[in-house]
This record gives sequence, structure tokens and C-alpha cells, in this order.
Amino acid sequence: METSELLKKVRKIEIKTKALSMQIFSGQYHSAFKGRGMAFSEVREYQYGDDVRFIDWKVTARFHRPYVKVFEEERELTVMLLIDASASGNFGTRNAKRESISEIAAILAFSAAQNNDKVGAVFFSSEIEKYIPPQKGRTHLLHIIRELVDFQPKKAGTDIGNALKFLRNVQKRKSTAFILSDFMDNRYEDALKIASKAHELIAIRIYDAFENELPDWGLLRLHDNETGEDFLIDSSRAENRKAFALFRSEENRKRAALLNKYGITHASISTGEDYVKPLINMFAKL
Amino acid sequence: MMENMVFAHPHILWLLLALPFLAAWIFLREKGTHPFLHYPDSAFRNVMKKTWKQRLCPVVHVFRLLALAVLIVALARPQSKSKSSSKNIEGVDIVMAMDISGSMLAEDFSPNRLEASKQLAQEFVKARTNDRIAVVAFSGEAYTQCPLTIDHGILANRIRQLKSGLIPDGTALGDGLAVSINRIRQSSAKSKVIILLTDGVNNAGSIDPLTASDIAKTYGVRVYTIGVGTQGLAPYPYKTPFGVQYQNVQVEIDEPLLRKIAQETGGSYFRATSKDKLKSVFEEIDKLEKTKIEVLSFEHRAEAFKPLVWIALLLLLAELAARFFIFKTLP
Repeated sequence: METSELLKKVRKIEIKTKALSMQIFSGQYHSAFKGRGMAFSEVREYQYGDDVRFIDWKVTARFHRPYVKVFEEERELTVMLLIDASASGNFGTRNAKRESISEIAAILAFSAAQNNDKVGAVFFSSEIEKYIPPQKGRTHLLHIIRELVDFQPKKAGTDIGNALKFLRNVQKRKSTAFILSDFMDNRYEDALKIASKAHELIAIRIYDAFENELPDWGLLRLHDNETGEDFLIDSSRAENRKAFALFRSEENRKRAALLNKYGITHASISTGEDYVKPLINMFAKL
Repeated sequence: MMENMVFAHPHILWLLLALPFLAAWIFLREKGTHPFLHYPDSAFRNVMKKTWKQRLCPVVHVFRLLALAVLIVALARPQSKSKSSSKNIEGVDIVMAMDISGSMLAEDFSPNRLEASKQLAQEFVKARTNDRIAVVAFSGEAYTQCPLTIDHGILANRIRQLKSGLIPDGTALGDGLAVSINRIRQSSAKSKVIILLTDGVNNAGSIDPLTASDIAKTYGVRVYTIGVGTQGLAPYPYKTPFGVQYQNVQVEIDEPLLRKIAQETGGSYFRATSKDKLKSVFEEIDKLEKTKIEVLSFEHRAEAFKPLVWIALLLLLAELAARFFIFKTLP
């Protein structure tokens, strides 16, 4: 990609995602992550609508009126973007999954920047491809977006576990980590378990509709992007298509169960559809 | 048909040896030649059953290889050979001058001289497949029973039809010879032969036998003369109001004349006193007049590549059909 073209694209993503993050996400994101910081600032009298959990019972007892604790915003919140750069991301019927991942990652980065959070990124495939340490500032943000647009991975495979381990190693403080991946990997449970204790993990799965259902297209020659294997399947047989769909739904069910088990918020976004709505829903759940 | 198959360019068949290598190459290269849909994973492969289509997919190449093999064979120009064409060009022209006078009915030969002569003449004719033969009959006069022809079927027929008593009785040796010469003189054959078969003395006709023999000499015609009849008496049938009676009649053959005619024209004279003798005479003439055979062997070869090309075309069409309909693969 040429530099001018690249910058154009970066700029485009910046504008698009910035607008989105300002209009829609900033509120959601803000409320989702605000006030969870630990820095106590003061107590004030209880007002209707305050969370009862934050009532300071000692002060209340002293004044015979309810008081709540007010916390300073956690200014040093860190947002990590774990970006799957594996070859499977090249697939997509309308947009490649990688493009969706890049756009969503950019939105998240801008949203975080709006909230004055530090943003870092980890590009991973079967190994760690690139690590951008969390920082603040517009230049840093654009640097991340540039990488999002232009990054070329060296390896094809996917190892989410490895990425999570890496996150644990480089990010000692608690952070909010978004895993942006198609989750075409099934050996990450242990790493997920450990990482979910140290960090707040949010899993955003990007998939393509064609991955869930197999249309009747006769004999199909497929090439596994990650392993490089070529193979032939017969999609003309209904039995096969059914088995395929069953396999996928089973996969999805298992993954959802796994993520739920460790209390990880997750959302699935199809490449074709608008990603705004699922993201809003997901943030609302936080 | 197959044993008559030859190849005009058999060395091209060596190309068939390259086919196994080509097949190996095609099957090895198979993966690289197809476009593949890049798909994110392959974990689902194991849950899908292999269908017959998947298994038979490589068969499309077999069609193409077969077509290629057939085309190579066609390229070698298979030809069906037929050697039936005539191998001789130069035969001998023979006129058989047969005496059909009443005396030929004498029964010193069985059943009589004429029948025996006819029978042996037919055999003679049959044996000389490459010669043109004419038949002239004479007794008191002479006429052509059959002109020079290569059609031996007709000849045998015409000889069979010879009968005594068709023309005035007598023995016009000179006329018979002259008519025979007339039949043969315009022939372009290198060797011209008259076989004169008689049993009597020249006693009719307007041409002297010696004059006729001179004419024969002029035209370069060899005359073989055959005298038919036993020595001495021969039983001769004649009709009476009381049935057929036999009378022994002295056999008269003008041997000096016949011998002279033969000598002058470069032929020879034979005397046949019995049927067996007559047979050996014919055999002898047959031997003397050996056809100079220049074996011009014409081999007719019909090109047989057409059906092969059609087969190859059908195979290619089958391959296309298989490739684009049955074993159509995406992308």
C-alpha cells in the first residue's frame, strides 16, 4: 500500500470511527469504565439515584443522614487491544474479517482516547507479531491505526493463549483488554483463565456468515489459510451441509460457554452487518 | 481386420511411453493448477463425509489421457491393408479353336471327344486365370463362340454351350484358324497363342490351312495343334430308325498338316489318343505358355484414423461434461 493511500485510509478510519465513538460510544464507554477506579475523593450526601453500594455507612451513622462515597475517576485506566492478525482474517464474503477487526479496533481506540485512557495494542498470530505499549495522545493513536491498516503478519496461525500470556507479562497492572479475533483456535482456555483474573477481558468475535452455513455449491476446493492445506469438500450433499452447520453451532456454543465460565463479556459481529449495534449492546451489558 | 492393420508412422507410437509420465505429472501438479477458495480453517473436514464425487474427481484427467492416447494412435496413421488388387499385368492371349464336327461325337473318349475336350478346355481355362481367352468353334464353317475375355466364368459357360451340329458338318481347319487369327491379331499381348483342336482332315472351308498358318506366322501367333482320336478305329454313333447304332470308323487325322502348322508358327503338335492324354496335352501347353508375371503388388491402404479421432473427440467431450457438470468444482 502506498503511503498516501495509507494515510488517506488512516484518515478515513479516524474520521469515521472518531465520529462514531463521540456520538455513540463515548457515553456507553464512559459509563462502562468510569468510577470503577479505586481513588476515593470525598463523601457527599446521598441523592436519589445513587448506587446504594457506595453509601458510606460510618459517615451516615455519624450524621444520621445517608452519605455516599465519591471516587475519583481512574485516570490511569489502560485499554489493550489484542488484535488477531492471523491469515484466517483474510477471509470474508463482503469485507475481510481483518478489515472489520481494524475498524472496530480503531473505534475502541478512539473511544478510549476520548476517555483519556492509555491505549496499547498487541498484534498476534501464532506468535506475537507486534507490541505497541499503551500511551496517550493523538499521534500514538494514529500510529496504532496505521498499523491496523497496514500491518502484515509473518505467521499465518492463531494462538490466542500465547497473546494472553504475553499480555500478562507486559501489563502488570489491571487493564481492559479487548480480544479482537475470529477465535479460530481452541487451545486458549488455560491462558484465558489466568488472564481473566488479572485483566478485564472483553471478547469481540468477528465472523463471516459463510463460516456458519455451507451453501450448496457442489464440489468446493478450499485452502486453509492458516495451515496452508488444500482440500476438497462436497457441499452438494445435504448431510454434509448439516454436519457442517452442526459443527459450527457446536463450536460457537462451546466458546460462549467457555467465555461465560470466566465471566468474560463477549459479542459476535458478522463482517457483513453493522457493528455499531452489537457493540452498543455489549457495552450496555458491562 | 485387425491383422491387416499397419501404421504409416509407427515411430509416433513411442509417444505413448510418455503418457505415464504425463499422467504422473498431471496428478502431482493437480493441486497447483486449481484455484482454491481461501478459507479460514479446516477443522470441519472430519465431520463431513467423503462422497463418491470427491473420490472420483481425478477421473476427469483419465478421460483426457485416454483421448491423448487415442490421438497418438491416430497420429501414427493406422491403415487397413488390402492386397486384393491384380498382381499380373501381362498375360497371354489364347484362342481355343475347337472342332465341333460330327466326328467329334465319336466315343473313343468318354463320354465322347467333344464332351471330353470341352471339359478339359474348361479346366484349362480355369487354371489360366491371368490370360484373356477366346473360343472359336468350327466344323464346316467357323464362328466365334466367345471373344477374348478375362471373364473366365463366361468362358466356361460358352465352352459348355458348344454343341455339334450347329453349323454345317465338315472340318474347315483353315477357316477355324483364320477366324481365330482374326480374333487375336489386334491383341496387344506379347504372347499370342491359338490352340487348335481337331480330329479330322481339312475338307471344307474357303481358306487353305497352310495359308492360315502363314497368316498366323505373320501376326506372330503361335499355334498349338492337337489331334484328338485314338489310333485305328473309333466307335461312331449314328441315328437309325431303330435307335442309335455304333459303327467303327477309321480315325483320320491329317497329322503332317497339323505338325507343319505348329512348326511354322513356333508351336507344337500333340496327339491325344485318350482323355488322359488330352489332359496331359493341355497341361503341357499350360506349362509351355507360362505367363510372364510381373508381380506388381498393389497394396491398397485405407486410412483408419477417422474413428479414432471421433473417439478422442468424444472422450474430450466426456471430459468437458464431467469437468463442468458432474465434477464441477468451485471456485
